[in-house]
Amino acid sequence: MNIARRSFLAFLIGGAAGTALSPLPWKLTDDLSIWTQTWPWTPVPPDGEYSYVNSVCTLCPGGCGITVRKVDNRAVKIEGMAGHPVNDGGICILGASGLQLLYGPRRVKAPMRRVGERGEGKWETISWDEAIAAAAEKLEGIRSAGNPQGVACMVGDRYGTVPSLFERFMTAYGSPNFMSDAAIEDSYRITLNLMHGKNAIPGFDAGNADFVVSFGSGVIEGWGSPVRMFLAHGKWKDENKTLVQVEPRLSNTAAKADKWVAVQPGTEAVLALSMAYVIIKENLYDKSFVAENAAAFEDWRDDEGKTYPGFKTFVLNGFSPADASKVTGVDPSLIVSLARSFAGAEKPLALCGRGKGNTPGSLHEFMAVHALNGLVGAINRPGGVWAIDVPDYVTWPKPGLDEAARAGLEKPRVDGADGGAYPYTESIISGFADGVNSGSAGYGVEALLVSGANPLYTLRDAQAVRKAFDSIGFVVSFSSYMDETAAQADLILPNHTYLERRQDVPAPFGLNMPVIGMSRPVVPPQFDTRQVGDSLMGIARKMGGSVGDAFGWESYEACLKETMGAAWETLEKDGILVKADYAPEGWGEAFNTPSKKFQFFTGAYRHGENKDLMSQMKIEGEAADFPLILIPYDSMRLASGPVADTPFMAKTIEEDVLIHDDVYVQVNPATAASLNLREGKVAELTTPVGKARVRVHLSEGIGEGVIALPTGLGHWANSKYIAGKGVNVNRLMSPVADPVSGLDAAWGIRAKLARA
Amino acid sequence: MKKAQEHTAPKKYGMVIDLDKCTGCGACMAACMAENNVPFREDETDKNLSITWLRVYKLTNGKKFPNADVCYLPRPCMHCEGHHGHSPCVSVCPATATDYSYDTGIVSQIYTRCFGCRYCMAACPYHVRYFNWWDPVWPEGMEKMLSPNVSVRTRGVVEKCSFCFHRYQIAMEKVRYEGRAELAEDEYQTACTQACPANAITFGDLNNHDHAVYKLKTHPDAFRLLERLGTNPKVYYISSREWVRRQGDNYLENEGKVVAKAH
Amino acid sequence: MSTVKAKDDGAGGFIILFFILGFVASMILGWIVFPKLLYSQKEQPFNFDHAIHMDMVGACESCHFFRDDGTFSGIPKLAQCIDCHQDVQGFTKDEEIFVNEYVRNYREVPWLIYSEQPDCVYFSHSAHVLSGGMECKTCHGPIAETETSRPYEYNRITGYSRDIWGKSMLGLKKNPWDRMKMDDCAECHRENGVKQNSAQTHKGACFVCHK
Repeated sequence: MNIARRSFLAFLIGGAAGTALSPLPWKLTDDLSIWTQTWPWTPVPPDGEYSYVNSVCTLCPGGCGITVRKVDNRAVKIEGMAGHPVNDGGICILGASGLQLLYGPRRVKAPMRRVGERGEGKWETISWDEAIAAAAEKLEGIRSAGNPQGVACMVGDRYGTVPSLFERFMTAYGSPNFMSDAAIEDSYRITLNLMHGKNAIPGFDAGNADFVVSFGSGVIEGWGSPVRMFLAHGKWKDENKTLVQVEPRLSNTAAKADKWVAVQPGTEAVLALSMAYVIIKENLYDKSFVAENAAAFEDWRDDEGKTYPGFKTFVLNGFSPADASKVTGVDPSLIVSLARSFAGAEKPLALCGRGKGNTPGSLHEFMAVHALNGLVGAINRPGGVWAIDVPDYVTWPKPGLDEAARAGLEKPRVDGADGGAYPYTESIISGFADGVNSGSAGYGVEALLVSGANPLYTLRDAQAVRKAFDSIGFVVSFSSYMDETAAQADLILPNHTYLERRQDVPAPFGLNMPVIGMSRPVVPPQFDTRQVGDSLMGIARKMGGSVGDAFGWESYEACLKETMGAAWETLEKDGILVKADYAPEGWGEAFNTPSKKFQFFTGAYRHGENKDLMSQMKIEGEAADFPLILIPYDSMRLASGPVADTPFMAKTIEEDVLIHDDVYVQVNPATAASLNLREGKVAELTTPVGKARVRVHLSEGIGEGVIALPTGLGHWANSKYIAGKGVNVNRLMSPVADPVSGLDAAWGIRAKLARA
Repeated sequence: MKKAQEHTAPKKYGMVIDLDKCTGCGACMAACMAENNVPFREDETDKNLSITWLRVYKLTNGKKFPNADVCYLPRPCMHCEGHHGHSPCVSVCPATATDYSYDTGIVSQIYTRCFGCRYCMAACPYHVRYFNWWDPVWPEGMEKMLSPNVSVRTRGVVEKCSFCFHRYQIAMEKVRYEGRAELAEDEYQTACTQACPANAITFGDLNNHDHAVYKLKTHPDAFRLLERLGTNPKVYYISSREWVRRQGDNYLENEGKVVAKAH
Repeated sequence: MSTVKAKDDGAGGFIILFFILGFVASMILGWIVFPKLLYSQKEQPFNFDHAIHMDMVGACESCHFFRDDGTFSGIPKLAQCIDCHQDVQGFTKDEEIFVNEYVRNYREVPWLIYSEQPDCVYFSHSAHVLSGGMECKTCHGPIAETETSRPYEYNRITGYSRDIWGKSMLGLKKNPWDRMKMDDCAECHRENGVKQNSAQTHKGACFVCHK
């Protein structure tokens, strides 16, 4: 035994010596260490030929040019397109992370039909033929049952071929219920309609202005065409221009502004009119513009001889700085100095529309602010507001209507945007849910088509919107992503993403020149998706009759090509068509109001005549029950439109905005102390329409009695990187219909906060 | 091999960030993440664990409403020169995983060399270094957007901003192809510089009189973070706000003016 | 006592024998079995005859060229080959495979790259060929003269090509293309006067060959 044991030991020692002299241990150690450095499951991105494709980003209405870097056929990076008239190489956080949408986990990869309960997430993948047939059959059934008006449609953007195709479909089909997402652009359009007599969108020559007063506009937080405004802001800094931010909360814009005027929320219009008071009282206004190119400044008489007070009388009778100070909380001397500086500047400019401008806002406020621009003549001149004609390149002949369509189109709109109440408004998406739930139109809504919008997330009083959706039997989503609305749909006909499709991109909001962009496929479609224009045409053709006849084009691309006409070639080549030498119409020709002048006061004002304009604009809730005011705030790092934050964006959400799944509500320390709340404490936030769990963040950037929540959180569908985090502020707010436009003018809601 | 290659003057790449222009929008962060294959996780709210090569900090002046003020401060790697390249992190790395190049002034990080001891993280006064506590996971399909120019990291290594050095490498390919000796200023720019929609970031060779950064770093409002620590960083900031400049080096309330810095 | 001694005496030979046995066995294991286990081979999708192509196109750069942005194209893509190989020319069986299986189906050939460096390595052909004036064969050897594609050998643990990791188990290197590890790069750089600019090592800086 001994021999065997010792021999065995000898064998082992010999083995060890041999092993040590062989490459085995050394090589193995080396290889194992390398193995741990590059795990086989760590992806190695394949290299290849680099190329760059120019296109246009359509994730927001900003219309930035993008250059997509590719490695062979993979898109690896989105960059701002150098030299582009909108963004000149800059890019925003959403645009820079757009590939996470293209390659993201929430793509709808093929047409799908719901098989489980609504919202349960059970789907079956179907073929495109089946999907088109399913939609066509359902819509045909509703139509032949004599209820074509019972089909509604929501689109994101208002202009361009795709929204126009939907509008055309609704007309040919016979429903008046075509709606588009509303934003400040709509309020500005009505303002320009009333004050300029033009069907125009505003262009801001912001970069050339030298004294900018922003009434709550998130100039560097996504307002207008975001990157363009960033560039303008940089230019102001370089050239020592002045930015004054009028806003109740210390937003990024307020922090970067040369002067932050912490106004009481909802009283911005009062401040604007009080500035007008000083400018008129002290004779600081542009006399030549006001005398020669403006109407209703002085008291005026209508055709029947009735006299009305002019803007001057209206302002001087009620908006003295002393009075305004009591409402706005802004020191009278500050109002005076602000007004003097504004009127004394060479190129003053007043901006309006809160935050990113996702809420249309009060028309009274828009007109008050625009009147300031009028007073100083900052209209259609360098550094001012230019009225740019709405894109008019879609010039298709009207579709032929059959009997059913004519009857349907006669019916009242569900959202209340027609008839006497709101004569200037095309559609009121925020009024839709109420219209459906109350049945005010006198007929039921049986089907809804949604394209480019995510109403279940973006519309206020989300519970009411959800209730409306639940009552609609058939919801079709054309979304590329499984967003909140798609998740509640019955049928999804997924669109290509913006990086896979060709589509016109009309007029970026706020750009002071007419521009048409063209987005183009940067990569081939990654999944079995289809350009929404083709899907819609497919449905129409399947239905046949006059609906089918309305779409004579062979394909969406043929339609686009025909629509663009001579511009097609340039758009194909450059991705953009710019009128570089564009100059605004001179004051003599610029106005098409009945007086052919800039209209300080219009008929629309009379809607508000009996209202108390010298006060905070009304929001929902009573102070007795809800002592606080909740205002939403926007951030570039939180996408608050139809598209949610990408994983990269979610990474950048600040530590005082979100902790794990809890959102922080910003509370002034004094307010918090009175409620016995401390930093980081969990609290229950209640408003008249909802309640939510939040955490308290003490902030000196907000006044007493006001609390603020970020927009863009609280997604429930979407990817795990953003869903389930925080609270959707739209769930806690309810829309307030503007008396003139009917659009949502809610700037906040009454609220209470208590320890949870 | 010929010995002719690249006998050019040493570069000292650096950055000047204008905090007056920075809007805190975060585009630089997203551009950086996309450029450098930075991983992401479901919950990124714990900022100590959240890998952001370029992090935009929010500074507050500590005053009461309505005198409160906020300033955003983007913080890439400072690429400290220290004394002759002995930056805090390079000095402590036992694995030669991080290094300072006299040729470019860039502090490199080689992930396959790093064994995760995290000395460098402790040594770095700017918190620019991040440890991969987990293997990165891309949702199915998203690995398609990974760039081949930057190595994908694994669990257990430290990573940080490289001043997009791979962009230098790519730019140099063209320079060599065209038979030129030098890189033009605009040929090598970091992803954040290129993306910044506010044009707040300027990048270039601090040694080169013709580069914009050369002049900008001598701006009267220019300062560097923790100047008095002697780390000799290559990222300069400009702010017209005194309180921001003071916070940049933790000045005490009753301390004098911000001291002049080495240019 | 004596028995114990006797035992010891008797065991001595055995011990040496067993020591040698162990030694030899482990040497066989380490030098012969282990390399066989460690490295695996894969065949290329089909045989590629460099020599025949060289006769026709004349130079390496005809197929392995620099792109306009200075990057190196490496192994040609289908698009390049199609110029000549739209249809079967009928020279070899391999060409038939190529045309029928790949060209007709627009499928790229999944070539196995002998000289592929790991992902952490940045290698610039322009720095070596254009600035350094080196010839292809200096590093790649006489591959242009080969008529057959040899099997691709790779390390089972690391997945690296054996051309990178060293053909010789002894660690010997006759030609540059026998091994291309970090030390090989560093040695050549040092010998040829590439700047030794690392603050930490006073050798070549890391960000010359890494990414």
